[in-house]
Amino acid sequence: MLWLNLLLNGLVWGCALGMVAVSFSLIFATTRFFHVAHAAVYGLGGYVAWSALKHGLPEWAALLVGIVACGAVGALIQKLLYERLDRSGATHLVILIASLGLSAVIQNSLAAVYTSNVLQYGLPWGNRTTVIGGALLTNTQMLTVGFGILSYLGAMWFAHRTVLGKRMRAVASNPFLAEITRLQPRQVHIAVMAIGSALVCIPGVLVPLDLGLQPFGGVPILLTATIAVIAGGVGSISGAFVLALVIAVLQNLSLLVMPGEWSIGITFGIFVIFMLFRPRGLFTG
Amino acid sequence: MDFLTTYIVLAEIYVLLGLSTNLLVGIVGIFSVSQAAVFGVGAYLTAFLLMHTALPFPVAVLLAAALCVGLNILVTLPSLRVSGDYFVVTSFGIQLLATAVFTNWTGGTGGANGLPGVPAPMILGHEFLEPTEFIALTTIGMGLGCLCFWLMMRAPFGALLRAIREDELAVAALGKSVLGAKVSAAALAGAFAGSAGGLYATFLSFVDPSSFDLDASIFLLTMVVVGGARTLAGSVLGPFVLLALPQILALIDIPTSIAAAARQLIYGLLLIVFMLFRPQGLLGEKL
Repeated sequence: MLWLNLLLNGLVWGCALGMVAVSFSLIFATTRFFHVAHAAVYGLGGYVAWSALKHGLPEWAALLVGIVACGAVGALIQKLLYERLDRSGATHLVILIASLGLSAVIQNSLAAVYTSNVLQYGLPWGNRTTVIGGALLTNTQMLTVGFGILSYLGAMWFAHRTVLGKRMRAVASNPFLAEITRLQPRQVHIAVMAIGSALVCIPGVLVPLDLGLQPFGGVPILLTATIAVIAGGVGSISGAFVLALVIAVLQNLSLLVMPGEWSIGITFGIFVIFMLFRPRGLFTG
Repeated sequence: MDFLTTYIVLAEIYVLLGLSTNLLVGIVGIFSVSQAAVFGVGAYLTAFLLMHTALPFPVAVLLAAALCVGLNILVTLPSLRVSGDYFVVTSFGIQLLATAVFTNWTGGTGGANGLPGVPAPMILGHEFLEPTEFIALTTIGMGLGCLCFWLMMRAPFGALLRAIREDELAVAALGKSVLGAKVSAAALAGAFAGSAGGLYATFLSFVDPSSFDLDASIFLLTMVVVGGARTLAGSVLGPFVLLALPQILALIDIPTSIAAAARQLIYGLLLIVFMLFRPQGLLGEKL
């Protein structure tokens, strides 16, 4: 039953990837530039929670501290860096280079403070297993699935039912019209960056719970999530989440036929081919 | 003295890479973060040819450059279909894919251990062993690269590339081939990166994946941004400034465990500061 285990692992991993994809989708659809430093914010969340935990906070509080810290950092990045560049009429290329620089700054600060060795949370309950319907799941995996589904539903509710969510979608679909109807796109951008960054802290803590923390771990994950966002159609939260699940399951099932170190290569190989033939995503016209 | 020579040799190799990156990112406006991957392929192929065949050095470098021309066209092709931000993701992906191949294909690349013992270049019976001799090779390489770049920028072809960056549609409407121009630019950038790889592998007599990873690509980008995008002077100045930086850092007392992180951190800061306050770099044009 190897394939069943792989399928399950894929679904669990897909929920984590889905959270990253949903958070990135909110940001990318609204601000429209490639926020590479999101990978670094993902890494930051894990380390902040780790520090909070080592200072004696309970698990839930540590996660909360991480979420708040990431949200604040996201808002600051938008306010102090991207908005400033945008006001000075910078092109997307300039913003992208700055974002790349910021990503290097955050990740290497983490590496300098916490060393680039793998850090473990050391929470024994995370590895305890429960049997559900014949399948063996660890507590960490169940938490990931739970948070993944909650995050997806939460993001859908936020985008479609709240005033801020509606403003966000208005800004995403037509920034100029949003500006003249006083929806204040700049404020929306800051809010969305805060929410997206706060959300990415959850997988940023849950994934290292299993695999350990690494300062540079976020880049491949963000890129895989970005593939899901693009393939699912930019702006579609459901598309991003579903595609993240699909990619994660495929990556895991591919272990049946080839060694694991090639899976990221194969993922990007398929993505390049996909971009050549269907650059607008699956769920858009 | 040897120390200074080594610095100049490496900087001259990086000038070729700077030209390659500048051509794609600055002049044509294709945001590529995978130039280090192409550089790596050039280095590995040269190393492989010199270690396992009897090909003379110039032929090996030419073969490596030719392969990189093809490869760079291939990795730049998606930019014709997808625009801007989407291509960046593709480009990141190509870089990660290349790192995976360099690290995992133990048979061809020696895996994480790399390929030690690349023979020194031999031209007409003379072996270039010392940095003081090698400097002749890299200076010629850099000179040729700069000459190509300078001639290209003066030629109508250079104007065409800059026009494509400003308004692709207008160029197409004038009946110019956007595809042809982009492919030629990618080919030239590939030749620069490939020959830089050949020089790099033979100079250090060792290649390993860490010289060609994502950080290396970001370093190339930093060089172009700091020196100044879109100009020859910028591409030449950038490598000389940035390669001097680790030497200056060595003077400050930083624990060795965080030295690498500190260096990357400074490159990142430079990117941000230049984008905020001087997007044209030291000697470039506005991005």
